[in-house]
Amino acid sequence: MTLPNGTAREPIVVTGVGAVTPVGNDAESTWSALLAGRCGIDRVRSFDPTPYRSDRGAEVKDFDPAPYFTRLDPRDVGRASQLAVAAARMALDDAGGVGAVRPGEASRAGVVMGTTSGEPLEVERFNDAMLDERLDRSGQRIVTRYPSHAISATIAAEMGFAGGNTMIPAACAAGNYAIAHAFDQLRIGRAEVMLAGGADAFSRITYAGFARLGAIATTLCRPFDQTREGMVPGEGAAVVVLETLSRARARGAHIYAEIAGCGLSCDAHHMTAAHPEGRGAAEAMTMALTQAAVRPEDVSYVSAHGTGTPTNDRLETIALHRVFGSDVVRRTPVSSIKSMIGHTMGAASAIEAVICALAVTRDRVPPTIHFETPDPDCALDCVPNQARALPVQVAMSNAYAFGGNNASVLFRTVEM
Amino acid sequence: MTDVHAAPARRVMITGSGLVSALGHAPASVHAALCAGRSALAPIERFAVDGLSVRRAGLVRDFDARAEFGKRNPRPLDQTGRLVVAAVGRALVDAGWRTAETANAPIADPRASDGPALGLVLGTTFGSVHTISAFDRRAQSAGPSYAKPLDFANSVINAAAGQTAIWHGLAGVNSTVTGGPSAGLRAIGYAAGLIRSGRADVVIAGGADELCFESFYGYHASGALAGAGLNGAGLNGDGSRGHGASAQDDGGDVGVNGSGDAAARPVPFDASRNGFALGEGAAVVVLEAAEVAAARGATLRAEVLGEGNAFDISRGADAATATAAIASAMRQALAEAGRHDAAAVRGAQTIAIDAISSAARGATDGDRHEADALAQVFGERCPPVTALKAMLGECLGASGALQAVDLIESMRSGGLPGVRDLDVCDPALPSAVTQALAPMRRLLRGGLQRGLINAIGFDGNACAVVLGAPGRSAAS
Repeated sequence: MTLPNGTAREPIVVTGVGAVTPVGNDAESTWSALLAGRCGIDRVRSFDPTPYRSDRGAEVKDFDPAPYFTRLDPRDVGRASQLAVAAARMALDDAGGVGAVRPGEASRAGVVMGTTSGEPLEVERFNDAMLDERLDRSGQRIVTRYPSHAISATIAAEMGFAGGNTMIPAACAAGNYAIAHAFDQLRIGRAEVMLAGGADAFSRITYAGFARLGAIATTLCRPFDQTREGMVPGEGAAVVVLETLSRARARGAHIYAEIAGCGLSCDAHHMTAAHPEGRGAAEAMTMALTQAAVRPEDVSYVSAHGTGTPTNDRLETIALHRVFGSDVVRRTPVSSIKSMIGHTMGAASAIEAVICALAVTRDRVPPTIHFETPDPDCALDCVPNQARALPVQVAMSNAYAFGGNNASVLFRTVEM
Repeated sequence: MTDVHAAPARRVMITGSGLVSALGHAPASVHAALCAGRSALAPIERFAVDGLSVRRAGLVRDFDARAEFGKRNPRPLDQTGRLVVAAVGRALVDAGWRTAETANAPIADPRASDGPALGLVLGTTFGSVHTISAFDRRAQSAGPSYAKPLDFANSVINAAAGQTAIWHGLAGVNSTVTGGPSAGLRAIGYAAGLIRSGRADVVIAGGADELCFESFYGYHASGALAGAGLNGAGLNGDGSRGHGASAQDDGGDVGVNGSGDAAARPVPFDASRNGFALGEGAAVVVLEAAEVAAARGATLRAEVLGEGNAFDISRGADAATATAAIASAMRQALAEAGRHDAAAVRGAQTIAIDAISSAARGATDGDRHEADALAQVFGERCPPVTALKAMLGECLGASGALQAVDLIESMRSGGLPGVRDLDVCDPALPSAVTQALAPMRRLLRGGLQRGLINAIGFDGNACAVVLGAPGRSAAS
């Protein structure tokens, strides 16, 4: 396949970041918490976890959506949309607020968001009513509020973004799929500025699902550790503002990083298990590197998918070794912030995009916490337990999902 | 870096199509049914509709997964998954990527062939809201340890795309896009962009939604269905949000046996329209970079010339912004088509459109917004307009893709389906548009060289795509 590395059009850059995560209700506090190695995983609060084998969850705490809404009533939208609007508002403010979108440009301002489940709390509500035999007109919310595109639509309605609006429910790789789509839309000239990211709300449905797959850790989430026992479901949202380099420079915007390349592939192998040789994951990484014209040895940091399940981390290691070569990968820092914020589903790679953009800007990378016992199947430098300062020229963010979706995005430093 | 900014984008061809619909499972026979004005609506038997005033919908019929899939077990697939796997299999055969014999054969290694990795972009509203609901109900009523893991795997919104990739060995880009009834067409535009930007060579794109108790109940309760006989807050007759009066009278029009079906007028652009009817289905096209199609000698069915996508920030509440978003999507698509259409006269301001496949579904406000937008874009010279939802109902994520598949059939046959049951065009609509409507099939003089498709969501999403016929003459 011909990747568009030869068609060196204008660089696409990140000029704003916003996030709501289990360790912080904005990007800055999330960054500080992650560098400090703080864990946001706790006992589940939003429903009674007693019926499950584990009670661990990574929920967003003390979140008040009201300050982020100016046109809509936050009570009229679901929790994922609330989290998404907060992240989008903060990202847009960070990029210069309304000044980031010039007058008359609203129709060239688009939104692309990713999610795993959309607004699953609306399915829970519908089912509670149905099981209690009190289903009534409020049952309409399963068609008005549950459909996942409510997330991107709510952001657009709230921010006044009248350009293309796309919701990509590519499960746990959705954030990266959204960023890749926004990147392409900007490169083929379909928009001037894009908000791109991901959002998911904590839900008993997701929790029950991962519990039935036996995937949830009962104590700690410790990716790449030999004693790792699983992932921890989480929630959150993150959004980045993307635009062309020349536009960002012309308006004097602060530039975090260039999106240097993206790679997308599909295992076509199994719904909930990755390819045993990590082939799809390796293809996505290789495509991103090719598009960015970056060699593996030039990657300064990899933000791993790193869920903490025995299988994911082993296969991800295989894929990294395939792409980078064992010598190079052993000296490349590869960490998983899921050790601290759990698996925030469709938000995960969007949050990791924010972290990569900040890592490129600030030359620091977050650790993998709770790391004690090295696993020969995970022969990686996983930045154990302590954040590290190092020059970050290029950061790679990897995400893998149900359905066999793989997505890699590369962030590169921009010379001022 | 070398700047090759001026490098022309790749051309995107359609080399095949496939569908499963309430009016048939082959594009040509569905086109014949649409041209004959056959309605897909029939009494609902698949799920319980007791106590609801509307009990008819356009459900897929005569679709036997076991017969369709031969020896392969369809059990891992839910209804949405089955519809998509079948539509994609048929499209791959139509495009010559598979033969009828191998279409549903197990794929040992999707990376074994030398050809390009095939991608898939699927538009949908729900994936399967039934699967996720059933998973949760079982967990709630029997306990979480009784919930079915397979249902969980299928509960994610991209499950159908993932299952289809596994079934057909599609190892390229795999993505799902939602947006309500705009999703299927957005998926085609998204896929065309993947090819133009060089990210993929071959992408199957389209849309699907199953109809199930949960979605039918939800739309019924919203009052948006024709004949549902509900007023007040929630969705208006057009599915938009707001607290206005909707077109239906509460109870006054309830028909025979307490059914609202007799009072239902899901007729696009008709003066008596009072909401939409629901349908289901799956439809996809195979998009291919022109050079890939040429190299393998594929038959060209159409070319994707342009896409537009805009959002109404009032989400249907404000007629002016709703109309502007639809017009914006069409203008973007036409402008992009002008740039990409190699057969068009260079420098021409507009390309000539021979027919329009409208998104109108019988919604009071939504149909008017689209008609007003058509008048804004095309002025007094609006090309012939059809609205397939008059026959198929609102098939949600499948709608825009069904329209695309049928527009390609119109390019072949020269015939444009009419708007079934169109009796009196709404006098409030621009006359240029109502004059472009007809209740019966029309033969397009000069054929269909370039057509525009609109797909419009319930809450603000507007998409438009321009398709060109292969071998078309230069536009004027």
